[in-house]
Amino acid sequence: MTWETVIGLEVHVQPTTRSKMFCGCANSFGDPPNTNVCPVCLGLPGALPVPNAEAVRLGVVGALALGCTVHPTSIFARKNYFYPDLPKGYQVSQYDRPLATGGAVRCESPERGPIEVSITRLHLEEDAGKSLHDRYPRRTAVDLNRCGTPLCEIVSGPDLRSPAEARAYLVALRQLLVYAGVSDCSMEKGTLRVDANLSVRRPGQSGLGTKTEVKNLNSFAFVEKALEAEYHRQVGLLESGGRVEQVTLLFNAGTGELRVARVKEESHDYRYFPDPDLPPLVLAPAWVEAERAGLPELPTARRARYADRFGLPGYDVGVLTAEPETGAYFEAVVAAGADPKAAANWVMGEALGSLRETGGFPVPAPRLAELIGLVTGGAVSHQAGRKVYAELAAHPDHPPGVVAERLGLLQVGDESALAGWVEAVLAAHPGEVARFRAGEAKLLGFFTGQVMKASQGKADPKKVQPLLRSRLGP
Amino acid sequence: MSLTREQVEKVARLAELHVPPEELPALAGQIARIVDYVGQLGEVGGDEQAPPFLAGPAAVALREDVVRPSPLVRGPAAFAPEFRDGFFLVPRLGHLEDL
Amino acid sequence: MSRALEAARATARRLEAAAPLNAVLHWSAAELEAEARRADAQAPAGALYGVPIAVKDNIVTTEAPTTCASRILEGFVSPFEATATRRLRAAGALIAAKTNLDEFAMGSSTEHSAFGRVHHPLDPALVPGGSSGGSAALVAAGVVPAALGSETGGSVRQPAAFCGVVGVKPGYGRVSRAGLVAFGSSLDCISAFGRTVADAAAVLAAMSGHDPDDATTIPEPPLAPPVARADLRGLVIGLPREYLPGDLDAGVRAGVDRAVEAMRGLGATIREVSLPHARYAVPTYYVIAPAEAASNLARYDGARYGVRRLGPAGDLASLYRTTRGEGFGLEVRRRILVGTYVLSAGYYDAYYRKAQQVRALIADDFRRVFAAGTDLLFTPTTPTTAFRAGANTADPVAMYLADVFVCAASLAGIPAMSLPIGRAEGLPVGGQLIAPERGESLMLAAAGALEAALDGTAEVR
Ligand SMILES: [Mg+2]
Ligand SMILES: [Zn+2]
Repeated sequence: MTWETVIGLEVHVQPTTRSKMFCGCANSFGDPPNTNVCPVCLGLPGALPVPNAEAVRLGVVGALALGCTVHPTSIFARKNYFYPDLPKGYQVSQYDRPLATGGAVRCESPERGPIEVSITRLHLEEDAGKSLHDRYPRRTAVDLNRCGTPLCEIVSGPDLRSPAEARAYLVALRQLLVYAGVSDCSMEKGTLRVDANLSVRRPGQSGLGTKTEVKNLNSFAFVEKALEAEYHRQVGLLESGGRVEQVTLLFNAGTGELRVARVKEESHDYRYFPDPDLPPLVLAPAWVEAERAGLPELPTARRARYADRFGLPGYDVGVLTAEPETGAYFEAVVAAGADPKAAANWVMGEALGSLRETGGFPVPAPRLAELIGLVTGGAVSHQAGRKVYAELAAHPDHPPGVVAERLGLLQVGDESALAGWVEAVLAAHPGEVARFRAGEAKLLGFFTGQVMKASQGKADPKKVQPLLRSRLGP
Repeated sequence: MSLTREQVEKVARLAELHVPPEELPALAGQIARIVDYVGQLGEVGGDEQAPPFLAGPAAVALREDVVRPSPLVRGPAAFAPEFRDGFFLVPRLGHLEDL
Repeated sequence: MSRALEAARATARRLEAAAPLNAVLHWSAAELEAEARRADAQAPAGALYGVPIAVKDNIVTTEAPTTCASRILEGFVSPFEATATRRLRAAGALIAAKTNLDEFAMGSSTEHSAFGRVHHPLDPALVPGGSSGGSAALVAAGVVPAALGSETGGSVRQPAAFCGVVGVKPGYGRVSRAGLVAFGSSLDCISAFGRTVADAAAVLAAMSGHDPDDATTIPEPPLAPPVARADLRGLVIGLPREYLPGDLDAGVRAGVDRAVEAMRGLGATIREVSLPHARYAVPTYYVIAPAEAASNLARYDGARYGVRRLGPAGDLASLYRTTRGEGFGLEVRRRILVGTYVLSAGYYDAYYRKAQQVRALIADDFRRVFAAGTDLLFTPTTPTTAFRAGANTADPVAMYLADVFVCAASLAGIPAMSLPIGRAEGLPVGGQLIAPERGESLMLAAAGALEAALDGTAEVR
């Protein structure tokens, strides 16, 4: 008996704003506890919320990037529940009239190929604070710095059919939002968090099974693992004659185990109602259209352009468009005159290596283009080019040609210099010379290698081989 | 009576409000009286899906995204019932779990 | 000695003498003098220089405690200041005292204060009305010329009528709510009491105007003090028939008749009008206000500020339930329970959504009457004069009906005020003027003319 998996994801993304959603506190991360707070984020008596224009704008930009309909009027609503890190006893969110509905994200399912995942809604809300349960005995410590951080909640339809598909969707969603400039979507910084819903049913069955929710997953790998574990848990229950309860679960990344969070039954009655402190959020259609027109190039368009205009293979396109900055750097290198395929190789190799180590691209694009020119023109070997790159990374203002010369890495094509190294190598290996002459042709490679070694890589290999052949020839 | 004692107890749990058992019957009677009284609104016909009435501005005025924290004359340590190392402290959650 | 310091010291003497009213929750002679010195240091002096103003204790100030007359906030001193009091101070006023109220402004008699009831200045056995009973009593007793109250459903107009002073509720959004402890956020208005219309108007003008810290304020500059008018020529005053029922208290009826005659004498055209949904105002109010209150009062949980109580279980749920169960008084608990119920799953449509719909109909009644050429409405403020303490405490609904004439203007968010129109058997009778949206200036000018033409302390029969 097989089971079909049905997965929907709720993703909370933190738009990159300077201040919080409803107050002038900094939208920052890592301050000492309860220092980045004000009457609004502490929920003090008499404090009132005032929404942040940029958070609204980024929500709209995100909604447009996901192909959603942005509604001219949306309503902030209160979601009422008690929790120590929720100072007002309610979260300001949007409920029956969200900012945007009805979009789609295209991604590549490992099992089904290209799929389209529907976006049910995107709404704006505020984040809660942080509760630390193990810092003090018998006490929960509460830090309210994060209270009021703006969030866009993006809810997908129940369209995903496997944990791997869920991951592919998340990668595509994240890419769209990063490209659109909504958020850095960094799971380490907590600017993207995932709640995953899963149910199983018999193939062909149209209704949905009872779903469970795994909360607060903070890496794509954990989303996939947690959903795998939940799939097995549900199937195990059903196949042993049990039934699935609608519960909320927490995933322990260390043990890979799911734990049922026992939630009081009433806490699901959130008593949503329109927040009387906040008049309707009204957006002029012309303004929304201007934001649409101002959207940057999104991943699908960029991938098509790289394939068409630069003729790059699919693998290269994927790597270069994974992050918008990589593509921007690559394009700057091409714009500075480098051959696109060579530029792609250098960006995917050396430059992404630097990015991983230093978090940036240390070599200015025109310098890298110059270096690529030296390599493709034969002035510097590929090997030597990497040494020049390393030097440029430390001294980005030095011209690559000068660096190559200073390091003695310019290839030597001069006949007399090459002849000197060739003579010395042949003199040092009389046995091999005899074997070559006896017909062991593959030794040519050995001699070439020895000449390169003797020249410390400076000899131009394209000129060494004819020279060797003529000296060894009959 | 429109409202049972059990319903009042359930609402009290939702509102995180302790009601001593000896007070419950009288309180439930009063709540029922109020709920019955406001129930007369049910006799008003008309379109319930009509946009709700709004006093004040028709649209919210947005705040510019500028860091301008409202200063506190005194910090949380001055008004928190229990405060240590910069944290508000509360009794650890009983059977509630971290969501 | 500066005029401000003189006023501060005289106010301190009067506050001391007024102690038996139990109208004040906090004041100190030292703070009053500090207020005077601050006012003296300001240049220019400001429109309210040296005027002592009492403030209802649900408006946060950084110097004095703000308790909302609740155990749950006993000893709480706000770390930020309300916009309204900040503006009054900037105009030179002296914040003189924090006044007693029904707990969290929930009540119509100031009997629901955790710190004891307020006594009526004319008869200690009577209530001063509520919930701003402390402020009303202080102004009536001549302790301060003006005071701040707050209205959610008549909590300034009703005690103004009972105490024989002027009480003005501006239109919703005219005065910032920043720093007013929320009760029913879509209804709450900081409002002004004065001995005279001019005093109340001056206080209102100084507080009014758009506030970037309150998204529900209207984008308008501060109100100008009203231009005085000698008569009411050219004005059409509507008398809504629903507000003059056959069983209206005879003294109140006589007061209204006398005031209507006075307005006619001032040249006003008097016209009977109808507000057909008026009778639903109180039930509508008692859905919307408790619903919003249940949410607004969730923050009092013993975690971050205020009083903490822990039950025997010692866990978080016991912190919440015990703090709230013991910290809130009976009326507040009743309203939280009603408000939670009307918003809960399965009941929202029948109660909350329905009340929103009826609220729109009530507002529409007013709009239609004003659009048809009525400039202002005139009604009694209350169905009776001040009642005895304890008279309405057994039945919450009976208490709610004390607000039967004042709720509707709150629901519609329009300006309304009460002014003394005479006395019946020695007790003040209040007349209510209701204005269309943004009609504060016209309403105050008309009230000024009526005040001048009518001895508000004369027996009406
Ligand atoms: Mg959410
Ligand atoms: Zn803040």
